[in-house]
Amino acid sequence: MNYILHLLIMIGIYSILAYSLNLVIGFSGLFSLTHAAFYGIGAYSFTLLMMKLHFPFIAALIAAFLITGFLGFLLGLPALRFRGDSFVLVTLGFQMIIFTIMYNWVGLTRGPYGIPGIPRPVIFGWHVDSLLEYLILIGLLNAVICFLLFTIYNSPFGLALKSLREDEKAAEALGKPAYRYFLRSFSIGAAFAAIPGALYATYVTYIDPTSFSLDESMFQVVILLLGGSGNKRGPFLGVLIMTLLPEALRFLGLPDTIAPNVRQIIYGLILVFLMYFRPQGIAGEFAVK
Amino acid sequence: MARGLQLKKIGKRFGDFWAVRNVTCRIFSGKITGFIGPNGAGKTTLFSVITGDLRPDTGNVLLDGEDITGLKPWAIARKGIGKLYQDVRIFKNLRVIDNVVVSLLSPKEESPFRALSNFYKLKSLWSQKAEEAMKWLEFVGLADDREKKALELSFGQQKLLSFARLMAAGFDILLLDEPTAGIHPKMIHKIEEILIKLVEEENKTIAIIEHNMSVIASLAYWVNFMTEGEITFSGRTDHVLGDENVRKIYMGIL
Repeated sequence: MNYILHLLIMIGIYSILAYSLNLVIGFSGLFSLTHAAFYGIGAYSFTLLMMKLHFPFIAALIAAFLITGFLGFLLGLPALRFRGDSFVLVTLGFQMIIFTIMYNWVGLTRGPYGIPGIPRPVIFGWHVDSLLEYLILIGLLNAVICFLLFTIYNSPFGLALKSLREDEKAAEALGKPAYRYFLRSFSIGAAFAAIPGALYATYVTYIDPTSFSLDESMFQVVILLLGGSGNKRGPFLGVLIMTLLPEALRFLGLPDTIAPNVRQIIYGLILVFLMYFRPQGIAGEFAVK
Repeated sequence: MARGLQLKKIGKRFGDFWAVRNVTCRIFSGKITGFIGPNGAGKTTLFSVITGDLRPDTGNVLLDGEDITGLKPWAIARKGIGKLYQDVRIFKNLRVIDNVVVSLLSPKEESPFRALSNFYKLKSLWSQKAEEAMKWLEFVGLADDREKKALELSFGQQKLLSFARLMAAGFDILLLDEPTAGIHPKMIHKIEEILIKLVEEENKTIAIIEHNMSVIASLAYWVNFMTEGEITFSGRTDHVLGDENVRKIYMGIL
C-alpha cells in the first residue's frame, strides 16, 4: 500500500514538472534542457527559506515560485536570443552552470553533503506526516496548478505561443512579439517547476544537487517526447509511462547489478524508435524539429 | 481615412549586390498599387523592407508621414501593415479555424495574467472569436474544413486560409506577394472581387506583386515596373502596361 502511495506521489510531482515544461517545449517549441535546474532552484530556495528563515510552508512555496520565475526570466533574457540547436546548447550550458553552483557553493547549499532533515509541511495547523496525507496535499496542489496552467494553455496567450512555434516569422507579421512572449512562457515554466521542487524536498526530507542534474533534465524531456506535448494528455501519459515503467521492469527479476543499465538502454531505445515511428510522441500535437 | 505609405530612396544590399536601389514611390491610400517586373527585380525584397523583415541600408519608410523604418516586424504589424507571403506560411499544426482566430487576438487579450484573472470569461471569448473567424472562413470558402489541421489543406486552400488570416487581422494596409500564383482560375476571379471589395467598401490600401497581367490590368490604379532593383517605369496602369519598353522587356519574355 505504501508502495502505491509513493508511486502516486511521484506521479503527482512529475506531472507538475511535465506540465510546466510543456509550456516551454510543447507550446513555444523551445527545447529547453534547463528545467531540472529550475526544479532544483525551487527545491533549494524553498528549503533554505523554511529552514534558515523559518518561513511557513505556503509562504516558502510562493517565495520559491517567485524566485525561480525571476531566475528563469534572467536566464531567458540571453537564452531567447537563440533558436533551434543554438538554444538547446545555451540551455544545456545554463543547466551545467547552475548544477555546478549548487554543487560547489557549500556555504549556501552544503554542496555534495546535501541538506538533511527538511521538515514536513505544516499548513494552518495541519501536520502533513503520513504518506496518505502527503498524497492529499500533492493532489490539492496539482488541482490548483493544473487549473492555472491549463487556463494559460487555453488562453489567447497559449494560442499565440503555438502560432510562434509553428512559424515565428508569420506570427510576428501578425503582431506577436516572439522574444517578449517566449520570455513570458519561459519564466512561467520556470516558476511552476519550483513547486514540484519544494514538494520533492519536503517529501524526501533531504536534497542534494544530484537530483537536479542534466540527467534529470533529460529525463523530463524524455517524458514529454514520449507522451507528446502541446496539449494536456501527452505530458501526463509520459509521466505515467516513465514512472511506472521502471517499476514494471523490477518485476522482470533482473539482478540488481544489471537492472539500472537495462533501464537506461530501454530509455535510449524508446527515444530512437520514437524518432523513427512517432516523432510527435504518443499523444502529442507536433513533432519537435 | 485610408492610410498610405511613402518609400524614400530605399536601398537594400546583400554583400556587394544591391537587391533594391534608390526606390522612391508611393503606395496610394485607398487604392491598389501594383509592382511588376521580372524575377529577381527586388519586388519581394522591397516588401520585406516595408514589413521590417529586412532592414534597409538606405532610405526611409513613412506611414502617413511617420517614419517606421527599422521597427521590428511585430511592431509594424501592430501599426496596421500586413503581408501575404509568397510561400503562404500558415500555421500547419493548428486547426484551420485557429489559424484565423489567432489573428483576431489583440495584444491585451494575449496577456497570460489577464487570462488568469479573467479565466471565467475565456469560454465566451473563444466562442465570440470562433464566430468571427467563421465569417472569414465562409468568405474564402473553407468553412467546412474548420476542424482540419491546416497541413491537410491543398496549396490553393492554404493560400485562401492565409488570405482569411490576413483579413481577420484587420490591417489597414495589405502587401500581397503574388496572391494568385498557384490558384485555380475561378478562384483568381474571386480574389479579384475580394480585393476590389476591400478597397471600395473597407477603405483598405493594397500593394500587390503580380505576374498575372490581367489581374494587374483589372485592379491596379498605379503600376511600378521594376528591373534590377530599381523602379524603371511607373504610372497609371494603362500607361505602363501600354508602354513599348515594358512590353518588350517584361511581357515579351513571359
